[in-house]
Amino acid sequence: MNELENARLEGLLETVQKPARYIGGEMNAVKKDWNGVRCTFGFCFADTYEIGMSHLGMKILYYLINQRPDALCERVFMPDADMADKMREAEVPLFSLESRKALNHFDIVGFTLQYEMSYTNILEMLSLGRIPIFGRDRAEGDPIVVAGGPCAFNPEPLAPFIDAFMIGDGEDVMHELIDVIRDGREKGLSRLDILRGLARLEGVYVPALYDVAYNEDGTLRSFAPNDPAAPAVVKKRVVKDLSAAVYPENIPVPYTEIVHDRMVLEIMRGCTRGCRFCQAGMLYRPVRERSMDRLLELADKLQQSTGYEEMSLSSLSSGDFTCLPQLIQALMDRYKDKRVSVSLPSMRIDNIVKQSLEETQQVKKSGLTLAPEAGTQRLRDVINKGVTEEDLVRSVTDAFECGWSSVKLYFMMGLPTETDEDLQGIGHLAKRVVDAYYAIPKEKRSKNGVKVTASASVFVPKPFTPFQWAAQDTIDAVREKQGKLRQYLKLKNVNFNWHESELSMLEACISRGDRRIGEVIYRAWKRGCRLDSWMEHFKYEEWLGAFADCGLDPAFYAHRERPYDELLPWQFIDAGVSQEYLKRENEKAKRVETTKDCRRGCNGCGLHTWNVCDWVKNPPLKDTDKMAAPLFD
Amino acid sequence: MKMIVVFEKAPRLRHIGHLDLMRAMQRALRRSGLPLRYSQGFNPHILLTFAAPLSVGMPGKREVMEVPIEGEMTGEAFLQKLSAALPPDLPCLSARPVDDRHPAPMAQLTAAIYQAELEQAPENFEATVQAYLAQREIPAVRKTKTGMKPCDLRPMIYGLTMKGNTLQMVLALCEKATCKPDLLLSSLFEFAQTPRPRALITRTQLLGEKDGVLCPLETL
Repeated sequence: MNELENARLEGLLETVQKPARYIGGEMNAVKKDWNGVRCTFGFCFADTYEIGMSHLGMKILYYLINQRPDALCERVFMPDADMADKMREAEVPLFSLESRKALNHFDIVGFTLQYEMSYTNILEMLSLGRIPIFGRDRAEGDPIVVAGGPCAFNPEPLAPFIDAFMIGDGEDVMHELIDVIRDGREKGLSRLDILRGLARLEGVYVPALYDVAYNEDGTLRSFAPNDPAAPAVVKKRVVKDLSAAVYPENIPVPYTEIVHDRMVLEIMRGCTRGCRFCQAGMLYRPVRERSMDRLLELADKLQQSTGYEEMSLSSLSSGDFTCLPQLIQALMDRYKDKRVSVSLPSMRIDNIVKQSLEETQQVKKSGLTLAPEAGTQRLRDVINKGVTEEDLVRSVTDAFECGWSSVKLYFMMGLPTETDEDLQGIGHLAKRVVDAYYAIPKEKRSKNGVKVTASASVFVPKPFTPFQWAAQDTIDAVREKQGKLRQYLKLKNVNFNWHESELSMLEACISRGDRRIGEVIYRAWKRGCRLDSWMEHFKYEEWLGAFADCGLDPAFYAHRERPYDELLPWQFIDAGVSQEYLKRENEKAKRVETTKDCRRGCNGCGLHTWNVCDWVKNPPLKDTDKMAAPLFD
Repeated sequence: MKMIVVFEKAPRLRHIGHLDLMRAMQRALRRSGLPLRYSQGFNPHILLTFAAPLSVGMPGKREVMEVPIEGEMTGEAFLQKLSAALPPDLPCLSARPVDDRHPAPMAQLTAAIYQAELEQAPENFEATVQAYLAQREIPAVRKTKTGMKPCDLRPMIYGLTMKGNTLQMVLALCEKATCKPDLLLSSLFEFAQTPRPRALITRTQLLGEKDGVLCPLETL
């Protein structure tokens, strides 16, 4: 940014809401000399500072890139609507927090894709950053725009805008990508040749090097590389040894409050449970645990470098971490005197953990969230959520005895095979939780009185799950079910929250969308859509208009059951789990058959052939070993 | 014992509010490894008192806080440890050990010096400032918790000087009477009958009173 733009920005900061989001300069933020490095990376999070700064993946990669002496990484967030408008009006470009460089000055601009409804923000950020929106319009000197994260597993909706996608764990491929772009730029290679170099990396997808054709009915006819550098199948990257992988020893500590304002220890990656709706559970396979020694070392370093007063453990199912009780005990012992509280956001309760809960409470009490997901045992078996009503009642009883009084219950509606009985089951479960509280003698339970919050989100079928072929409920059907649920949950001490069905419908369209959805996203952005996941900015009518502009029907993407022989837009990506396995699981779901946790023995999901899963030959659990329910979320 | 600490809130941090600044300072203290003292109770927090909160939008050149610690240590040792734990825009400038019974800086606060960098000062403004100060009474309306209240600014002004485009103001800042620099600027330019230019206001020094003379708060 030049001096004039900088002065105008200073002026803007006096007039916008929460200007502290735009100033940077936090403790542990890394400001390097631009003349001292060979490659510059603008790390973009397509949402506001408070959200983006809470995201672990960004912290890992920010630290990883800045550890390289030859590169620097700076953070860029989506400005809030008032700031975006004023920046455009005052001709202030989107800038990085560290050096206030305009986005188009970076060699590489990278987006992390966390949820589909942030995609219009990507376009807004490119536009504010003075980078051509479409990859095909970018000139030789423009940044290479890359993306990664869970949503990159179906990259097609963003194919027109992103030059290269990184699929899978980012730790290793990020280095390789920076090397290729750095060398390519220094050698004066053309954009196309740099992209070809990227396509040769394992786990990198360069959409411009592939051609797509459609059948008359709108389904995909063919998808194939148009360049010898591009592989027919793009295989996801897997970091095999998490203990040896880079993990931040310090993270920027924000001045202003963010959503998750604490240190985060990622204790493991992946999940063995195999819930059939859960995309993360499939994408992050296999399970890899960090060693106790490494975790304690990281905990100490983070605590010393941040001064945070709270630490949370992160993973898809922390209760399954082999050494959880020992880890919690060790953390408690270490930090009692330093007044650091340890919170367990993704937890199950069993007898060992109950003791830990009592200890957690000694330092600081946090809320209790449980995710039964479905109201009846039949439907929980369909989705392979291995939890029973008795598990739930036992867990909340334990928690109430430990002094908890408010419980959040997460459900999904619109799951495959759902009937009215399953919705009634949600009411029944909420009631049983309330009853469990009153079953405890008055002197042993909290005096605050019980409060149960039941939340029902709308099921969104996701790629690489056994339900990837499923139809989502129509908006009318969802509304009818929400109405019924409101009736079933008219209970004392119970609150009911539900999600906007329109947003979930669009999420379903984009998450399983093809390349043509990119044009819809572009039209929606042109019509003023941005910050779509913020209800005050969500413009459903404009989205429908965007579909109409492109001659596409949302129902084709969201509400249509897809046959097994249809070519899926993401099928060229090898996520480890095979399409055969996903079909098998989908058929078992229809027969209401469950699949065992893979710690009890390999289910042959596909990753067993990759030589990355230690448990294929030696499952850690015997059939007789008891396993607690994955209740916390 | 406790430390009387002087620190700067650099212009970059001017948009950080008082509570956010407090939290940032507490986290810095936690990083420093200094022997801090904690409050009692369910959610113990570090004992730490700022002499005077800074308004959002205003940098401070020499802000004062009081940090109780366990045991004894020199000001230099304290300064060194805390400095290593502070971000670049929040440097610590000095630390002075005092006895626990030493009166709190907050209780000794009398006034503060502010500097307003005017984007453009009106011509011959020094004379206007002199005329403004020569008034016996300066009626104004200030915002209080209970609504708008008329007041007289004159007794709350210890000094006003104009140098180049910089207006230096010494204004009362204590429990009995506080004159906000923003209110003074409005009043002054109303008196001058010229539109108020944009200005960055910095608080440059907190003041206490010793033997009837104003002096830097941290020296008391």
